[in-house]
Amino acid sequence: MKHAGVLLAVIALLMPHILQADTSDAKARGLEIATQADERDSGWQFQSSDMEMILRNRAGKESRRKISTRQFEVEGDGDKTLSLFQEPRDVRGTAMLTFSHGLEPDDQWLYLPAIKRVKRISSRNRSGPFMGSEFAFEDLSSQELDKYQYRHLRDEACDPYQCYVIERIPRYENSGYTRQIVWLDQTEFRSIKIEYFDRKDELLKTLDFSDYQEHPGGFWRADRMEMTNHQTGKSTTLLWFNYDFETPLKSGDFNKNALKRLL
Amino acid sequence: MTWVQRGLRYLRLLAVVLWASAFASPAPADVSKQFELSLQGQFFPGLSSDPADIREQFFTGIEAEFSSDFDSEHLIGTFLPYGRIASGGGEMNHVDIRELNLLYTQDNWEGIAGISRVFWGVTESGHLVDIINQTDQLEGFDGEDKLGQAMIRISRLFDQSTVDLYALPGFREREFLPPGQPLALPFTISDDKPLYGAGNEAQHMDFALRLSGYQGIADYGLSWFSGTSRDPEFVLQSTGTYRPRYPLIHQAGLDLQLTLDSWLWKLEAIHRTFESDTVTDDFTAIIGGTEYTIYGLADALFDLGLLAEWHGDSREDRTTVPMQNDLFAGLRVSFSDTQSSEFLAGIFSDLDDGSDSVRVEASRRILGDARITLEAQSFVNVDSGNALSYLKDSDFIVLSLQLFF
Repeated sequence: MKHAGVLLAVIALLMPHILQADTSDAKARGLEIATQADERDSGWQFQSSDMEMILRNRAGKESRRKISTRQFEVEGDGDKTLSLFQEPRDVRGTAMLTFSHGLEPDDQWLYLPAIKRVKRISSRNRSGPFMGSEFAFEDLSSQELDKYQYRHLRDEACDPYQCYVIERIPRYENSGYTRQIVWLDQTEFRSIKIEYFDRKDELLKTLDFSDYQEHPGGFWRADRMEMTNHQTGKSTTLLWFNYDFETPLKSGDFNKNALKRLL
Repeated sequence: MTWVQRGLRYLRLLAVVLWASAFASPAPADVSKQFELSLQGQFFPGLSSDPADIREQFFTGIEAEFSSDFDSEHLIGTFLPYGRIASGGGEMNHVDIRELNLLYTQDNWEGIAGISRVFWGVTESGHLVDIINQTDQLEGFDGEDKLGQAMIRISRLFDQSTVDLYALPGFREREFLPPGQPLALPFTISDDKPLYGAGNEAQHMDFALRLSGYQGIADYGLSWFSGTSRDPEFVLQSTGTYRPRYPLIHQAGLDLQLTLDSWLWKLEAIHRTFESDTVTDDFTAIIGGTEYTIYGLADALFDLGLLAEWHGDSREDRTTVPMQNDLFAGLRVSFSDTQSSEFLAGIFSDLDDGSDSVRVEASRRILGDARITLEAQSFVNVDSGNALSYLKDSDFIVLSLQLFF
């Protein structure tokens, strides 16, 4: 009986795959949902926020980072992002400017305040950890629609919401993932949970979004994100503060020469 | 050019008034403050135990940084004084105002007035194009430390490029390591004030122009400098000492980086011409090379960068020009740990006489947000005819701890 239970569970798990295995319907539906989510989060033009990152190792020992970010929306291309590091204090004033380009490699510059030097850096390292955290660069980068191939898996409850569950496969080069599974709530199309599968297609990390707030223009942002690495036992919490969708930012603020004048 | 100097004096006064009001007004503007305390030990294991030789020395330095926007959308003020105390005291004690300036931004225009620092260039093992600030030789052997320079800079920012125009009043002499210091020049510097190519000496107004930007994978800079050279020549005096002379020069510079996936290709080139009655001929110098990075090695524990850069100089004289035909080869290890540990090791080889010098740099964050840095260089094999032969016994290890408040 015990074995039959396991078998039933396996069949139950495989059912959605068996029923929808790569049907073009599931793909079309997946793209449709992803497009809706993308459209819901378009048109904000610019935003700024402060982020605190809490890194926890397996033993629970914590270290913290603080970063201010500004973003500028670019129609028809990836967004421009400016990240200014505040803590740890030995990197205070270091700034990173990213022009993301969907499938093409991003343009990225780093400003080192101690020697007043702006360096163009390779954006090849998409799968590398961001500041020693469980977030990879690709997890925090601008999420353009054409970066993935989508497939609708199923609909299910994701307490307290009702969710669409879609699979997305990175189409850009050098990703650390074979695929991701994303839970989106059916009313506002907010990301509720993402599971990341490594190159061996084993579950690597889970990202949980919580404390969603609605901002002017109807844009939703999670104030808390929790990334858990199942393979190492490490985790990283992102806390977001001071979201501002109203103070205007100009494209000219996102210039490699403007990196030197950030406060 | 007295109008520029007068203007600069007014702007400095304005800076002081703004700073005073930022601190003293009933509702003071936000002044962000940060302090860096550094403790440094320098060790020279190759020197004899002769009491005249300095085999170790210690420094305590403090750098403060105050900045404020004076509750204005357009202004940023920065004040950055630095000072250090040396265990040996005397000339090794050191104070400098690295920055004291006001930056004004309006749409695509930017202007700065006051003392500031500027870096130009792309290469790792040397800097040719960088010319605005005088090198601070008391602080470090690698030439990365710079003295503050008075300037007015006007910049126009375009979408993918920037044009900067600089007026640079008030030349700053190089401060040489005092005699007896292990890394000091092998001859005695005259106590007399330096000689200048310019009739109005240190008051000469220098100018610089730079166009920089990017286009796809290319980041470029084209620069022009006209004024007093930051690099001195040395004129032998009848007393046997050498007197620094700062000639008038014109220098064109090019820096270029191509960023191609894991490859960075880098080039810096300068052509320097001298105004008449100088002891040095016009010359061209270049540094060109590449950095290739392998990401995520050992289960994403570290990235490994491989560097190679060639230095060439049309003067071709290995006895006076240290980097006339030299190759730098190195490797950089960047760990993805939470301490941001970094390690760089490299070798400079003179391709004409086979002289070798090995350099190591390592740093790591400790105690939350302090940083510990090791820097070491060994002149393992220096030919007696090489410009750096006087350093053959001056291998050094520098250990620094930086604390941030």
